[in-house]
Amino acid sequence: MRNMIGINRMPIWIISLALFAFFLLPARSYGQGEEVTSYINRYKQNEVSTGYYEEYEMRPGNESPLVKTFHRVDRKPFAYSSTAASIRNRSLLADSHRGIKFYDNRRCEECHINETQDIHTTRANLTCRQCHGPEPIAGIDHYYSPMNPIRRHAYVCAKCHQGAGASFAGYVIHEPPAGSSAARADFPALYYSYWFMMALLAGTLAFFIPHTILTGVREMFKRKKG
Amino acid sequence: MMQTVRIKRFNILDRIFHVFLILTFLTQTATGFSRLFLPTAWGKSLNAVFGGYDTSILIHKWVGILMICGFIFHTLYLLTRIDYNHLWVSLFGPDSLIPTVQDAKHLWQRILWFFGIGPQPGIGRWAYWEKFDYWAVYWGLPLLAITGVMLMYPVIASRYVPGWTLNIAVLLHRAEAILAVSYIFIVHFFVGHLRPSSFPMNEAMFAGSVPVEELEEEKPVWFAQLKAEGKLETEKANPPSLLYKIVYFIFGYAALGFGVYLLVNGVINSQYITLH
Ligand code: HEM
Repeated sequence: MRNMIGINRMPIWIISLALFAFFLLPARSYGQGEEVTSYINRYKQNEVSTGYYEEYEMRPGNESPLVKTFHRVDRKPFAYSSTAASIRNRSLLADSHRGIKFYDNRRCEECHINETQDIHTTRANLTCRQCHGPEPIAGIDHYYSPMNPIRRHAYVCAKCHQGAGASFAGYVIHEPPAGSSAARADFPALYYSYWFMMALLAGTLAFFIPHTILTGVREMFKRKKG
Repeated sequence: MMQTVRIKRFNILDRIFHVFLILTFLTQTATGFSRLFLPTAWGKSLNAVFGGYDTSILIHKWVGILMICGFIFHTLYLLTRIDYNHLWVSLFGPDSLIPTVQDAKHLWQRILWFFGIGPQPGIGRWAYWEKFDYWAVYWGLPLLAITGVMLMYPVIASRYVPGWTLNIAVLLHRAEAILAVSYIFIVHFFVGHLRPSSFPMNEAMFAGSVPVEELEEEKPVWFAQLKAEGKLETEKANPPSLLYKIVYFIFGYAALGFGVYLLVNGVINSQYITLH
């Protein structure tokens, strides 16, 4: 016969011993990874965390096929101005707003309205300039821009997120709307997670809400047992 | 008048876990929603309740940790409830919470019953929708917990996974939270309070016991099983005291009101927020 409450102590022992053993393991020190990896891997890690390869500055490698480059050439049917129209890719300019008429009198969000909808703006109350800096705002691919992926993590992210590395800077601040075709092209992982969760949400509710309502309705018509 | 005979259904630990889940879940919903709806006036006033959006996220994080501890503790408890000497019966027998083929049959029979085509299925100890309620926490909470901890320590998380997974983590956390909230505040509350056989409140999870007539009506197969095992006598429980009853009615209705308040305002304000 088993005891009254039905508590079997075996798993408790196994799990607590395993946890105990886990806590006894020495913590992995930071230098450790470097000493035991191959030199190829070591260089890669070094590049990623410092942005330097020997004496050259390096762009961090493409992190994943799931996130593609986000600065496509975006040409509107009506250019800002005649001079502005000739510039094909502003992300390489030292002054990314060069040639835009009446630039001094305009506000960022007049053109970049979608860029004001992200978490950093709506939750942390950041202004554009806290990350993008004062005038002239360099394009993110301009060699000396603080936003250049070579050094973005150190010059921009780490201002608030102490210890931010290149991987951290791979977070997409101005992400495309998760369910849009833009996301499917540029950030498929986000796109498919979104539609997966939507299907899960719609599926669960589409099954259980009618199920519950029908239960309620049917129970009203139940004959009392006499 | 004869006293109704009551049969034990949930032990004290089960009930404590349930109350724990109610309290932590409602706190997480209120603080999580206060951040989710921050761009709206309603969200701002919700934050004000917690003393601002900084405090509200602080509460969200600590209660999140508490929830994770409770979840681990509950899982350990669950493992102790398995009878390792009779593993098969314990896992797939009539007292088990694990879904079986029988549950799929019950679902089909119940759909027929909805439209008056067949009799009510012979539900055992745990109906299939009760099993779903139980296991839903097992995918919902780990998902919220993993993505939540990633968002709590984004810099550390980005050392192990690429930074863009944080975009996904935010999306999954919000979507799963909305799924859990809508399921609990619509379906679970309706089943527990509003459907005719439960109205005004299904007391089983608070009182820990059910009247034997209700059991015979709702869970005929379990009733037969208890009868066959001679447990109708040994598993008898005392009725809850009046005071306790008053307390859990107030508690249950407070939770209901709270949930409906958050849900309705969430729906009204849903046009101003995004999932990512
Ligand atoms: C299980 C443990 C949990 C942990 C560790 C956790 C942690 C977090 C963290 C760190 C955030 C980021 C908030 C921010 O910086 O603005 C967050 C957001 C959020 N959480 Fe949780 N959470 C947990 C459970 C839950 C639950 C159970 C719910 C509701 C059912 C919930 C609802 C939300 C919502 C709606 C947001 C979005 C807030 C926003 O839009 O900024 N969370 N959570």
